[in-house]
Parts: sequence; structure tokens; C-alpha cells
Amino acid sequence: MTIDSNTLFQNYFTNHKNYDEVLKSNMKINPEWGDLLSNLITAGPDELISRQKEIDWLMDENGVTYNVYNDPKGLHRAWDLSIVPFLIHDKEWLTIEKGLKQRAELLNLILKDVYGKRELIKNGIVPHEVLFAHRGFLRQCDQIKYNTSKDLLIHAADLARGPDGRMWVVNDRTQAPSGLGYALENRFAMNKAASNLFNGINVKQPSDFFQDYNQMLIDAAPKDIDNPNIVILTSGPHNETYFEHAYMSSFLGYPLVKGNDLVVRNGRVWMKSLKELKQVHVILRRVDDVYMDPLELREDSYLGIAGILDVIRQKNVSIVNPIGSGVLENSGLIPFMNAICKYFFNEELLLPQIASWWCGQEKERNHVLKNIKKYVVKRIDRSNRESIYFCEFLNEAKLNKLKEEILANPYRFVAQAKIQFSTAPEFIEGKLEPRKIMCRTFAIAKKDGYSIMPGGLVRVAAERENLIVSNQRGGISKDFWIVSDTQQNYFHNYAWDNTFRNPVSDINDLPSHTAENLFWSGRYLGRALVTSRLLRMCLNSMQSSQYKNGEVPPENLKIIFEAITGITHTLPGFVGKGKEDVLKNPLKELNALVLDSYKVGSLAQTLGSFNNSYYTLRNLWSKDMWRVFDGIKKLWNKHDKDKEYSVAALIKLLDSTITRLIAFMGLIEESILVDQGLLLYFIGLQTEQASLTIAKCRSLIVASYDEDLEYEMLEALLSSHESLNIYRYSYRSYLSVENVVKLVILNDKYSRSLTYQLSRILKDIGKLPLPTGITGNSKCYDLIHEANQIILKSNIDTLLELDETEAVRENLEDMLSELSELLHQTSLSISDTYFNHSYQQNQLVNQNFPLQ
Amino acid sequence: MVFQLSHTTSYKYGNGVTFCHNIATLKPRDFLGQTILSYDLEISPKPTEISERTDFFGNTITRFSIQQYHKELKVIAKSKVLRDYTLAPDIHKSESGLTITLDEAKKELKSISPEILEVKQFLLESILIAKISKNIRDYALKSFKPDRPIFEATSELMLRIFTDFEFNSNATNVATPIQEVMENKKGVCQDFAQIGIACLRSIGLPARYVSGYIETLPPPGKEKLIGTDASHAWFSVYIPKFGWVDFDPTNNQIPQNQHIIVAYGRDYYDVPPLKGVIYSSGANKMKVAVDIRPAVD
Repeated sequence: MTIDSNTLFQNYFTNHKNYDEVLKSNMKINPEWGDLLSNLITAGPDELISRQKEIDWLMDENGVTYNVYNDPKGLHRAWDLSIVPFLIHDKEWLTIEKGLKQRAELLNLILKDVYGKRELIKNGIVPHEVLFAHRGFLRQCDQIKYNTSKDLLIHAADLARGPDGRMWVVNDRTQAPSGLGYALENRFAMNKAASNLFNGINVKQPSDFFQDYNQMLIDAAPKDIDNPNIVILTSGPHNETYFEHAYMSSFLGYPLVKGNDLVVRNGRVWMKSLKELKQVHVILRRVDDVYMDPLELREDSYLGIAGILDVIRQKNVSIVNPIGSGVLENSGLIPFMNAICKYFFNEELLLPQIASWWCGQEKERNHVLKNIKKYVVKRIDRSNRESIYFCEFLNEAKLNKLKEEILANPYRFVAQAKIQFSTAPEFIEGKLEPRKIMCRTFAIAKKDGYSIMPGGLVRVAAERENLIVSNQRGGISKDFWIVSDTQQNYFHNYAWDNTFRNPVSDINDLPSHTAENLFWSGRYLGRALVTSRLLRMCLNSMQSSQYKNGEVPPENLKIIFEAITGITHTLPGFVGKGKEDVLKNPLKELNALVLDSYKVGSLAQTLGSFNNSYYTLRNLWSKDMWRVFDGIKKLWNKHDKDKEYSVAALIKLLDSTITRLIAFMGLIEESILVDQGLLLYFIGLQTEQASLTIAKCRSLIVASYDEDLEYEMLEALLSSHESLNIYRYSYRSYLSVENVVKLVILNDKYSRSLTYQLSRILKDIGKLPLPTGITGNSKCYDLIHEANQIILKSNIDTLLELDETEAVRENLEDMLSELSELLHQTSLSISDTYFNHSYQQNQLVNQNFPLQ
Repeated sequence: MVFQLSHTTSYKYGNGVTFCHNIATLKPRDFLGQTILSYDLEISPKPTEISERTDFFGNTITRFSIQQYHKELKVIAKSKVLRDYTLAPDIHKSESGLTITLDEAKKELKSISPEILEVKQFLLESILIAKISKNIRDYALKSFKPDRPIFEATSELMLRIFTDFEFNSNATNVATPIQEVMENKKGVCQDFAQIGIACLRSIGLPARYVSGYIETLPPPGKEKLIGTDASHAWFSVYIPKFGWVDFDPTNNQIPQNQHIIVAYGRDYYDVPPLKGVIYSSGANKMKVAVDIRPAVD
């Protein structure tokens, strides 16, 4: 191999300070990397750049995101996957796997002991403070017994290669470990975009591991439950790994729920579905321990389920991992792990750990205080960056403050040696460069042990000399290969055994929260589309009447401006106080109506609301939907709300938006099943469209004008309604109020007419499950039925009659206003009946203490 | 002495409550010197579910839920308690308990005997007694000296809290931090108990929170009114070679028969008499009435 001379490696050898995965200390290439390196060289820099682009594109297309807190661009940041994988040979992996199994077994026994007999403390193996002073030790979970084969069902560990060439354990993750979904998606993306790199290399596939994972969830079910209802509990779209929550939900086929979808009654946990309460047996949670039960744990939590701890005690529900397992995320345990291992297994700990000194012991504390600059100091129960002190970088004052803190509560602190982790090649600007890496591994409980995922998730430090590897700062990830000398099975997309699957099979079981978001997605989308068309009609009228900004607008434009303020509920606007000034520069107001996301009622704001409810439905997305959705976002990101765009520029933006919205709506209809809740989306969409049809008619055709103006208004209505062509086709005549009312309001065949929309809502509401306990019709059905009756019984001649002043079509106005009210009531009634959020969770006594 | 005791808590909800889960820590403890002759918890409306269990600190807690719409919740804990403090070990009769000094006590606390391990958790920070400030420690150090017996020093600490702090029920609420209480020197029994605990922990002695009741006597010649007694709280210190000793800094006395013990915890947070999660959209009004009087059979 001519690696040294290859341009890819030009920078690899210079300034090389660390232990490297590829280069051995004698500067020879590690043979295990040979095949991958030659595949990289064969591809060459140009090909690698284009493959990397392909991966970036795939991640973007598939909506793989990672949210970073406190970062304005952080929400839904794209996930970065490197073209260069990380690899470990099977031979070494076997040893690591053995060590990981031992560690998982050990932590499992510690967990049982901490909440059980506490022999480790009683026998002096672990000082009591390491457990009792850890905020993850939850006294409420004391003595809870579980039916599962292990207490600890999932264990994730962060590994890095230490200076001795072995893999060291850096952290344990035991509450709700993340990374599995990202690891899986990384593998899919590599297979798709960089299949050449696999040439001649046997990479172990995680298929069996995911079977075990699913089986673990099923086995966790309470006794005698053969076909358990399993749900995935998320804290919501703002969580940093929300993508993964949704991804695992669609991958495993279990519903994604939030805390307020679940409720404790009669000693069991229930999911609020449209039809009724449905019992839940297993909860795979992505919510941290203390947020799980506001009754017994953090009172101010809205992410959990009040009373669930008692259901767990009664063994009527299982939580994966059990609540209280956070006590194992404990750097204070590290110095004692060897002794614990001897105590339980009478053997040595297989995987080394970072040398650590627990400050609760006098000798150790004195040593740490004396040599503090050499160490990284952490709190035993905090692993976030804010609580880690890299003492070499601290000034005198900060060091003294830290020392004081240690002395005040020494048992809270651990000091760790800082070590140089190994580096691996990373593809940067056409060249390979060494970067520090960290591997996250996963273990899953089985009946007789633990199953280890072959590989896992590898994360890369952002800069060459960076010490810290973390996604919180937006790092890069790598696919993690375990390479074998023997042939491996090809990795297929998962085809589960059908007996495994426990899908939400019909609309009765739809979680009410999902239903609510679908309903609102429909409403927001409907509003976005109607508002876009309305604004476009207005801008087109300005253009065709050759109106120049600043002129006194002609009568027809004035009415349209006023109608827009009314329909979008954006008073004062063109109607209220200060309208004279607004009318002097209508374009400014129209710009704000389109682009100002802070203006309630604007198109930008509606799209923003849609955005939010849409993200919470992420597990229902198809890739095509994401693509179109992303297209809308990118289009809008190009526009700056502080600029004033011309009429033509706004029309162009609206044209593109409308096309994309329609494409998106079409995709929703074909990607989501009626049983998955599409019905709710339709009801929301039609309700919104019908309401806005009413609002438009009331603003534009209820008042009677002279012939010319009336013609303008009819044309405005029809064009904002996209109905000019249909009108011409149906009536082949000059526009008349009578025909327009017949088409837009009374036609029962035309899908954009009010009559049609109302009958569609009636039909769809009729298909909703009747909640248990209600007989006859639901209230929302009765309301929408009444609306349908009113419009069916109306008579065109009566509707067209003018009042005595001959200015207003009074009967038309009365009917429209009545229908508007009924629609509003229907919507409220749907919320009351199906969404069940009318009552808030509160504390009986305010217990909002300054919690640590 | 046999007491009959009733503790009534009522909540009126403006908009009503559809559903609630609650936890009550109201049942007096049973131990040498305090025997529970009868205990009854009346709840209205009638709970759909109710269960009792022992918590981490050995207190009896009752969990209940009401699944019907209600506008008022009433919880009445009634008990009959036989109190005879003379049955419990008496510190005054324990030479080693009376004389053990701070230095000696700290040495004893280094042991890993099961008893010492058990009490040492009361040395650690707890939710309401955390980040104990220097002025609290300084306050404690005025009474505690390495060679001074800790019983004597704790008695003095109790007296000082009693004299230095003003009883004022408008000055604090359950969430007032101890630092603030220390600065303003005002508060209620719960604050004084927690100040005492913070002082003791700051110098390395295990201390716990005791929640219970105290019988109040009417002025001479007057009849006792119903419901004038109150929930009470004080602290308890662990004296090695003897055991836990209670001190009531609100009244400057070592509890005897007038004190009924309901629960132990690290601080108030572990043992609120009643807490819960309700589903409602409005405000609520709470009323508490406690009555303790010698039982008449």
C-alpha cells in the first residue's frame, strides 16, 4: 500500500501527538484498517467529497436532526455523519463485549442492591454517601421489586481508547440512553450512500440485536400479559433527541406518547385514545427519572404520569429502564467498581476505567486538593458540561472557589485523571485528519444475560485538539463497524416477525394527543392555503389595476384590503385605528401579513404554528412529506421579514408556497391512513376552509355595490377561491351574485363550496368513534348536523334579498353568521370530547421548592 | 396519657376537580413510648382507590385517588394515642449520652456499624436544607466546642433559637429558604426545626426533622376551644452511645407527653401532611384544624 504518499494522508502524519487507531507507535499501519483504507484510496478525494455530500443530503432528506439547547439555530439541526467509519476487529470486540456484559451485570446487581438490601453499604464496599447523596437515588423507589429477568434492562456505555491501548469506560448511561436510533440510521445511510467502502469487508450487522431489543420490551410486560401494549414516552419535540424518539416509534411500531396521553386509574396506566382508555403494559421511556411522577417525584413535572410509581409497585406496568436507575450514572462509583466486582463475582473488572478519586475519603480528598490542577473535577451526579471542571484551565480564584465547594460537601465530588484518548481518521476538506473519538455501546437484557449491539454510535471531536466529544456542541458521528474475517449476512431493512408487532391498528386506539395535533395540522394548513390565495388575489389586483403604492387606492382595492384585515383577524390593519396611515403604504402592511411571524394572523405565523404541530407528528411522516416540508422552510428562510418586498416578489413567494402546500396536502392524504388519524386531519382542514369561505363571503358579497364594483368583488372572491375557471365552465356567463352564491355556497357537488365542505365534515365526524359512556350522537355531530340542515334548507332567492336600505343581503349575512358560530362550537366540542385537555394538572399544595 | 386527636384538612376548589391523586402522611408512629390505640382516615368524597404503605423513613403514608368530579375535599385523620415518654430511654439517665463531646461523637460516627450507617444519611444535604451557609455554621459553633458534651450544646442551641427567633406565621411559607429564615430570624416551628437541623449537620452531627402535634393548654380557668391546636415540628439529633434525642426549639423543651410524633424525615419535604396532583383549572382554598385533648372513655 502506498499510503504515505497518498494525498489523502498528507496531513495525517504531521503534528501527530496522540495514540492513533490507524497508525501504530512505530508509524506502521494497523492491518485491521487496511481494507477500509484501500477502499478510501480507491474512491479518492473527489469521490469521497461527493459521497459525503450524498450522505449530508440523505440525512437532510430523511429529516435526521438533533436539537441543541440555547442555540438559535439549534432546533432541528441536521445530524452529521462522517463518510469515514470507525472500526474495531471482531477479535478485540469479543473482549470488549465480554467486558460490557460484565459491567451491565454488575450495574444490574448494584441497582438491585441500592433499592434492596444495601449490602454494599452495610459491608463497607461502597461508602453510603456515594449512593445516598446522589440526587439519582430516589427514596420513593426503595424496595420496589420487578418481575423482569434483570432490573437494568438497557445499559449504554461511553468508551474511549486509553493510553494502554485498551478501551476504557468513560460514562454509564442508565436512565433513558440515547443513540440507538442514530446508530441505526447511520448504518442505513452508509449502506445507501457509500456502499463501495464496504467492499471486501465483513461488517457485523445489528439485526439480531434489534430482535433482542424488541423481545426485551415484550418480556418486560407484567405477568400473564401475552400481547402487551407497549408505548414510547417522549418529553416532546424540544428534546434534543426527539428525532430518535419518533424514529424508534416508527421503527418498532409502538405509539409515541407524551405524559398527558397517559393517566393512572384503578391501579393501572391507561392511554387516552379517541374511543376510550386503553391499558398500557410497558413504557419505553425517554424522560428522566425525576420527571416521571409528579405525585411522588418532581411536583412541577408535566412530562410524567401522576401516580405511576404506585402502579409500578403493584407490578401492573413496567418502565424501561426502571425509575431510579439514574443512581448508576454515578462517577462516584468508579473508584469502587473493582471492589464491587470482587464482592459480587469474585473476579476482576474487565474493562478499565478512568483513574478517579472520590473526595468523600480524607486521604483522596487531600491528594486531590493538593494536585487539583492535574485533574478534571466532577460532581458525582452531574455529567453535563456545566458541572465539569477542567482544572488546568481554571485561574487561581476559580480554583479556590472550587476547593471551597469540595470542602463544604466533599462527598459530592470526584476527581479524574485527564487522559489522552485515541484518534481516528476523519475526512476534512479533501484530506484525512486525526480526530479524537468516543464510542457509545448498548447492552439489552435477555433472559439469561445481556445482548450487546455489534458496534454502536461513534462521535468525533469537532477540532483537532479538542478534548470534549459531545453532540451538545454539534459534533460529528460515525458509523461503527465490527469487522470480521468471516462472511456476514447482508443487512436488510427490518421485516419483523408478524407475531412481534403490536401496531395501533384502528382509529379507536389513536392517542388523543396525536389526534389533536392532526386536527390542528389540518386547521393550520387550511388557513395557510386560504390566506396565501387571499393575499395573492389582493396583490394581483394591485398589479392589474396598476396601483402604485402611496396613491389613494381605488374603491375595489380598499374593500379588499379591509376584507383581508377582517378575514385574517389582524386588526387594526386596514380597518381599525390608524388605518389612514396604513392605507398610505398598503405594501408595508401586506409584507407584514405575509412575512412577519410575530404578527398574529399573518401567513408566517400560521406556517410557524403548523410547523410546531407537524414536528410532534414526526413518527407519521413519510420521506416525501419531509422533502416538500423542508422545501417550504428553505423557501421562507430566504426571505427576511425586515425587508419590504415588491408586489411582484411577494406574488412569486406566494405562488411557490401555494404549489408546495398543495403538494404537501396531497402527500398527507396518501401517506397517512385514515385509521392513523387522517380523519382528524380532514376534519380540521375542512373546518378551517369552511370557516374562511364564510368569512370571505361575508366580507366581499354580503354588501351590495353598484354593478362595476360588484363585478370586482365577485371576481375577487372567485379568484381567491380558485373558482374562476369552474365558474366560467359552469355558467358561461357574466359574473352574477346569484350564480356565485350558487357555486361557492350552495353547490353540493363542488368540493370548494360551503355546502360540500359542511357535508364532508358531517360525514367525517360521523366516522369518529363515540367515546365510551356517550349514547346517541356526540355533541359535535349534532352541531355540525344542524349547520348542514340550515344550509340545505336555504333558498337562493331569500338569500339574495336586500334589506330596506338596499345595502346589505341581510338573510345571507344571518345564515353565514349562524353557520360560523356553529362551526366554532363544533370545533370546541371536538376538543372537549376527544382531546380532553380542558383540565390542567395542578399541585394540591404548592411544593415548588428550589429543587437541586 | 391517652390523647384523642383529629386533624382536618379541607380544600374548596373554585372550578371543581375532575380527578386527583394524593398522599397523606398523617398516621402517628408507633414506638416505645407512643402506642397507637386506633387510627382512622375519613376522606370525602369517598376515594376510588386507597392504599397504605411504609415509606423509606418508616412513616406510614396513605395514597388515595378520587375519580369523580368534586368541589370540596375533606380529609380527617382521627387517632387515639397512648403516650408515655418514660418508657423510652431517658438521656438524663445515660451518663455516656450526657457527656459525649463533639470530638468523641465524630469519632464514633466514623464506624460502619449498621446503626451508624443508618443515621449517617441524616448528615447529608437534603432538598430544603442544602448549601448550608457559613453564618449558619458560625451560629452553631457558638454552642458547639470540640470538648463540650453535645447534649449540653444542643440544649443551648435550642434555647438560643427560642430566644433569637421570633414566632411569626406571616414571615415565611413552606418554600422559604433556611438562609432567609436565618437572616430575618422570623418564622414558624418548621423553620426553627430546619434551622436547628442545618446547624447540627453543619458541624457534622446527624439531625432529622420530626413532624407531629403538640397539645396546647388553655389559659388557666378557661375552657379549651376545639381546633386550636396545630401541626407541629421540631428536630432530633443523634447522640452516639445513646440514640436520637428530640428538641423543640419553638417551645424550648425536650418533648415529653405533650408531643405526638407522626413522621421523621430529612426535612419538611419528605413528610408534608398532605400533597397531591389535581386536575382542575381554578384556584383552591385550604383550611386546617387540629384538635388534641385527653381522651375521655
